[in-house]
Amino acid sequence: MAVETALRAREPMLPGGAHDRTWAWVLLALAAVAVAARVLHPMQISWLRNMLIVFGSLLIEAMPFVALGATVSAAIEVFVPASSFAKIARLPRAAQLPVAAFAGMAFPVCECGSVPVARRLARKGLSPAAAVTFMLAAPIVNPVVIASTFVAYRGRDSQALMVAGRFTLGLVVAMCVGWVIGALRPDGLLRADAAIDDPDDVEEPRARRFFTHLSGDLVFMARFLILGALIAAAIQTFVPASVADRVASLPVLSLLAMMFLAFILSLCSESDAFVAASFTSFGPSAQLAFLVFGPMVDLKLAALYIGTYSKGFFRTVLIVVAAATLVATLWVEVWWG
Amino acid sequence: MSAITGNVATRVSPVRIAAAIVLGAWGVMFWMLWLTGRTYLYLSSRTAWVVPMGAVIMSIAAIGRLATARSARQEVLGRRQAWSLGIVALPVVLVLALPPSALGAYSVGKRATFGGSAIGATARDVTGPLDFVDIGAAQSFPAAMTQLEARAGEPIALEGFVTHKEGAPLDEIVLTRYIVTCCVADATIAQVRVVGLPPGAYTDDEWLRITGAVYPVGREVLVAADSAEPIPVPEQPYLTP
Repeated sequence: MAVETALRAREPMLPGGAHDRTWAWVLLALAAVAVAARVLHPMQISWLRNMLIVFGSLLIEAMPFVALGATVSAAIEVFVPASSFAKIARLPRAAQLPVAAFAGMAFPVCECGSVPVARRLARKGLSPAAAVTFMLAAPIVNPVVIASTFVAYRGRDSQALMVAGRFTLGLVVAMCVGWVIGALRPDGLLRADAAIDDPDDVEEPRARRFFTHLSGDLVFMARFLILGALIAAAIQTFVPASVADRVASLPVLSLLAMMFLAFILSLCSESDAFVAASFTSFGPSAQLAFLVFGPMVDLKLAALYIGTYSKGFFRTVLIVVAAATLVATLWVEVWWG
Repeated sequence: MSAITGNVATRVSPVRIAAAIVLGAWGVMFWMLWLTGRTYLYLSSRTAWVVPMGAVIMSIAAIGRLATARSARQEVLGRRQAWSLGIVALPVVLVLALPPSALGAYSVGKRATFGGSAIGATARDVTGPLDFVDIGAAQSFPAAMTQLEARAGEPIALEGFVTHKEGAPLDEIVLTRYIVTCCVADATIAQVRVVGLPPGAYTDDEWLRITGAVYPVGREVLVAADSAEPIPVPEQPYLTP
């Protein structure tokens, strides 16, 4: 009821109660874009062509995973009772975090899919610490990602290190972030509007509720994914990748450079190992930094985090993931050489 | 537009209809990409399977939303929701309205040094018929370059687009091909210098099929051209290692 009231309060009505006609302007704007795309030949402008193709490719790859995540999220909302999560929520934080991190092994999608699921888990009563730990660990520790890492490094001396290191560091860094989030934000993980964008009526049949949540999650996440992909495409268009290559042989800077690259490239965790393996001028520890940092923090995720979670969340995640990944991969560098 | 379902009056919700249309548009875009083969303008063959997955999920979401478009509550499509849905629909409009295009010469400069160190995800035996992935592997892995060097002078046929190196002789071009592992965002390049062509005959972004003999020189690979034939942009402009 409160949700419905809040939504209605936000609905702009024209004087006299007439419905808002903004949709007509939106249709007109989209039609204008379509005509411009045909008539003005934007693909003949080199930088614009590059940006639009990269923008499209990031979205075409990520959106199916967001859709899959939203499907799981809607199923959790409609078919899994809140009491199921109450047991986990009652555990001490030290026990919740490993449970949430290892639960990620059962969710074989990339990082875009885990965000809507974590959002739903938080709304269903799972503690912020556990929800965030799950969200960050799942895209790294699930079997598909581990298998793709194994295949990407086949025939290399570093294969075992990369597979085991990615799995272990993924768990450890995710739990570090979860612990910090739990300490700093025991409540209020989600942004206010992220909690009310899909009105639910528990008296409706389950199928109706499922599709309400599915479309609500999809539209909500898609907006931020589009923004993130646009920023990533713009940076890839105007910033030469050679900025990272110059520091490949420097001990700490090579790790930071690979984390920076992972942030900009915004790749899917299910196939980023093939890209990491191709950076042959960087050592295994730098490649590991790429593989652990990228699925937790990148440009498209930044937009999703900022749109979904409360103020300061992204900053906290960025700092803790970067610090934990840097320290862990430095240890790997010392140990592996 | 209103109806009585059981004891509850329901009406078609414009919010739900609009959401169904936008999700349906995404579904249509994924089906179109899949059925026309345009997937390969954006993704590698390794990740192309996500497109049919997206088509199915988006279509189900749209149909489901349409089938459940009636609501007992009055839902108004407000300004904020309308613009949000418009933003979500915008990429679909762009992908469907823009002519099919692939990365060209402009991006080479942004990715060249990636390519210098980073082509070929795994060590590759350069022992079969030579192609651009072999060239990229040779430029990335010393062992692969040794294998290529042993085959100096062998015939090679390559398809790629033209770029030019500043200060190069007029009868020389750089033939380039993007190698995509995941999606276009990770595109790296493989390049060969092609010599012995008619001076000034080819412009940037023009696609050519070159035949000739291959000669590795240091980290570069040179092709002494026997023939150069203009070709249309291939259906799969990017290669997958």
